[in-house]
Amino acid sequence: MKNVIDVKHLTKSYKSNKAVDDLSFAVKEGEILGLLGPNGSGKSTTMNCILSLLKFEAGEIKIFGKEMAPDAYDIKTKIGVVFQDVAVFDELTVYGNIDYFCGLYIEDKAMRAQYVEDALKLVGLEENKSQYPKQLSGGLLRRLNIACGIAHKPKLIFLDEPTVAVDPQSRNNILEGIKKLREDGATVVYTTHYMEEVEILCDRVIILDHGKIIASGTNDELKALAKIEEKVTIEIPDLAPEKLAGFDKIKNVSEVEYDNGILKIVYRKGKNNLIDMMEYLKENKIHYNKIFSERPTLNDVFLELTGKELRD
Amino acid sequence: MFWHNYKYAFKTLLKNRALVFWTLAFPFILAILFNLAFARLHDYDVFEAIDVAVVNDAEYEKATVFSEAIKSVSEGDKRVFNTQYIDAMKASELLEDNEIVGYIYIEKDVPHVKVNGNGSSETVLQMTVEQIAQSSKMIEDIAMTDIYRRAGQTVNIEEIYRNAVKIVAETEPNIKDDSHVMNVVSIEFYTLIAMACMQGAMLSVEMMNRCMPNISNRGKRVAVAPTRKSTMILSNILAGYTMLLAAVVALILFTRYILGIEYGSDMRLIILLAAVGSLTATTMGMLLSVALKTNESAKNVIVLIVTMVGCLFAGMFGGQKGLFDAAMPLINKISPVGMITDGYYSLLYYGDSARFTMDVVSLLIVAGVFFALSIRSLRRQRYDSI
Repeated sequence: MKNVIDVKHLTKSYKSNKAVDDLSFAVKEGEILGLLGPNGSGKSTTMNCILSLLKFEAGEIKIFGKEMAPDAYDIKTKIGVVFQDVAVFDELTVYGNIDYFCGLYIEDKAMRAQYVEDALKLVGLEENKSQYPKQLSGGLLRRLNIACGIAHKPKLIFLDEPTVAVDPQSRNNILEGIKKLREDGATVVYTTHYMEEVEILCDRVIILDHGKIIASGTNDELKALAKIEEKVTIEIPDLAPEKLAGFDKIKNVSEVEYDNGILKIVYRKGKNNLIDMMEYLKENKIHYNKIFSERPTLNDVFLELTGKELRD
Repeated sequence: MFWHNYKYAFKTLLKNRALVFWTLAFPFILAILFNLAFARLHDYDVFEAIDVAVVNDAEYEKATVFSEAIKSVSEGDKRVFNTQYIDAMKASELLEDNEIVGYIYIEKDVPHVKVNGNGSSETVLQMTVEQIAQSSKMIEDIAMTDIYRRAGQTVNIEEIYRNAVKIVAETEPNIKDDSHVMNVVSIEFYTLIAMACMQGAMLSVEMMNRCMPNISNRGKRVAVAPTRKSTMILSNILAGYTMLLAAVVALILFTRYILGIEYGSDMRLIILLAAVGSLTATTMGMLLSVALKTNESAKNVIVLIVTMVGCLFAGMFGGQKGLFDAAMPLINKISPVGMITDGYYSLLYYGDSARFTMDVVSLLIVAGVFFALSIRSLRRQRYDSI
């Protein structure tokens, strides 16, 4: 598959603060690329540089094989952008807003009317199309924001934290909508600091911190970077200190924590961890209620690479 | 694309209550308030001469043309002033005791008026003195030019001054004419029309902000669209201009046909001046919007200050125009408010005159400069931060 975006050695500073530091990456046609990182890591700045909204000191940006510039209108025709902040007109209805922004790309009125209807359906706002933005809830407003950015059926879509402060129902609707856009052939660049969304949505992830790429790959490739195999949580109402000490001696166990009847065990890489632990529980006649195991998350990877949480 | 954006820009403007208030409702409200404030002056039968004092000192004696003019408006049945000639201390005492509306004195060759209140009598006093001062200055200038021209010849100073008075009388409004009182009121309304035109700057700032990604989120969305920035800006600006011009024309019709304000007879020229004035204000808003690196609210405050200072200099808040003209003569020559006010003033008195043409051409030149500077700053613009 060919590259839709090529970014080479992109560098951008705000006065003395380097927001993007010699960043290079490519986005392949038809993929959903996640740009993951904490606030201030350079995700939005990278996106704004790619879109030619911001000046940058160094680097080269190509979209669809052509150099991106403020007046590269042939490239802009194929791009859709959903910014982090809601950008709609309070004076226009839901339909009017989508029609207006879609009209900046599509001149044919009949085609535009169809596209607007499609966008309304995609974000689930068909029943709200006569309402004004002030009559919508936060989640519905976010959906309108997305519809305004993608109604013209772009081939490349940038979504900058589109789910910030939305209810779970709207979040699901938004994520499903993005999957549908990809199914329809769009390439998506998705910036967020919600690792769960990246895990659900993205084919490939770039983790940013202080404007630099600290890791990139598929979800599995990134998780493989984590030194832990899994985290096991067991509900044990009553655990004697000498029996608690015994967990440390089980093979591959790296951390043990017991608090308020909940035992948490972190395992290093290795096999048969759960079987070994179950045997220890049985041998020592330890009664437990619930037990469950978690695979390492991208947050664990981030924590291991930077020493801090994604949401710090 | 142009008309698509124009249609929606116009629609959103019409539904924006704050902008509709400032561009449409506010000037109408002021017009009604002005009309109430000057209601007494509409009725000529009940207009009474204003009690004033003149500080009759050496400076006043020296200003022969001015003192003659004051004398002439203080005589006869249609006199404007009941004038008493006294010293400065006595004048001050009378003003303090509210026995006179104000007193006139001359300081460093410039006539001044001292009043206590800000009612309609005070305004008429100030504007009348201002107009007399302007005419006197003109007479003196013409006479002096004549004297220099005849250098080396035997000249009759009295004859030269008589000629100058005649020239000025032919070109300037007659102070003793009945319509003078109404003219004072008219100037207030002309500054109001100018102020209404200047609301275009505020509209323009709003419309520009919609295209600027460093100011608004909608600007970001517009900046990533494949529509040329010039198309976006021009269609937005045209939408704002259409609304503004409609509001200004409505205000002119209202003040002319409902409130009875005189503008002269040629409606085409009256509208032309409104159109050109509104255009200048619109381009001023464009320039301020791109030149000021601040947020939308701060830009609007600056636009408001520029407009109101222009109105102050043009004479909206009483008869201080003459004083400002004497102290800072350039301001009203380059201020759009000053030029629009002067345009209507000259249109009333001289019709399609050179002075009116000069006002219109000056406004167009200023608009052209503002527009060119704005477009130059906006071309291929990328931002350091957004």
